[in-house]
Amino acid sequence: MRPAARLLAFLAVAALAASARTAAAEPVKLVKPEQYKARIVAPKKGRVLLVNFWATWCDPCREEMPALVAAAKKFPAKDVAVVLVSVDSLKATPAVEKYLAKEKVPFVCWQAKSHDPQNFVDAVDKEGWSGAVPYTLVYSRAGALVAKLAGPQSEQAFGDAVKKALAGGT
Amino acid sequence: MKKLLVVSSVLLLAAAAAPAADLKIGAAAPDFTLPSASDGRMVALKDLLAKNRAVAVIFVATKCPVSNAYNGRMAALGKEYAAKGIAVVGINSNKAELAPEVAAHAKEHGFTFPVVKDEGNKVADAYGAQKTPEVFVISPKGDLLYHGRIDESQDDPKGVKSPDLRNALEAILAGKPVPAAETKAFGCTIKRV
Repeated sequence: MRPAARLLAFLAVAALAASARTAAAEPVKLVKPEQYKARIVAPKKGRVLLVNFWATWCDPCREEMPALVAAAKKFPAKDVAVVLVSVDSLKATPAVEKYLAKEKVPFVCWQAKSHDPQNFVDAVDKEGWSGAVPYTLVYSRAGALVAKLAGPQSEQAFGDAVKKALAGGT
Repeated sequence: MKKLLVVSSVLLLAAAAAPAADLKIGAAAPDFTLPSASDGRMVALKDLLAKNRAVAVIFVATKCPVSNAYNGRMAALGKEYAAKGIAVVGINSNKAELAPEVAAHAKEHGFTFPVVKDEGNKVADAYGAQKTPEVFVISPKGDLLYHGRIDESQDDPKGVKSPDLRNALEAILAGKPVPAAETKAFGCTIKRV
């Protein structure tokens, strides 16, 4: 193998390894209600963003996760980002990380940190969210909230929401 | 302070079959008569209302970690307010949690109030209950006085800052309006048929 080919092969393997690390080994980070927009939404401006709220003890959330993973794979990362926010108890952080690793969920996951869960719900979507999970919010490239998906969604529903957000410009 | 930092939020759930009912504060609470999970004795809301200054209906579960985090608080509330003339009744509407399991769970956690089994989740549907735990407090006239959570602190019973259910019950006993009559319940989805 020529040096250039070896370099390319090495870079490809390194890229795959980096992706895998992102998927399974990244620790869950905590987010307070007042930090939600600045830490989760704002950094993804320029891409359509799906924020999926879930919990390890929520059966519909776990059942929905493969659809979210499959839907995300159909869009280039430069256009679409997916972020998880766990509403599990902070005591359950190890269980959250264990689940994500076991299921090879390739998304960054935050965990809500709020003594009063109502504060977090209200900071995210006071009018539209009862606190029930799963719940998914779709933001435009400009960071505007453009869709609310309550309850478990199919791969097609996630895909359609992303396409609509991408088509919406801004 | 440290405890505060350790405590997190847990919301939750409900997704699938969203109940049609949307019971508003002041609306008439649906009557029900359901069998006690422990002994099959029928428990009628109207009977409880006739003998008490209010009734706190709490939708509960045996396997939900959020509901289970409140077991001790529910047991304590049941004992304390029974003596003050407010009855507590637990309703288990989860299809997979059968009466013997519900009865054993209630006994294990010292529930002195009845826990009834809502087969077919008809009462949960009538109330629009989605989560466990989720509380509905009803006046002797049958009107809804409070709907929502027990308090805001799932993980730390000693760190409660907003004892919403207790505040509601104390207001009712004092003959005053409930200060926060509607809060957002958080917990596990009621598993319906």
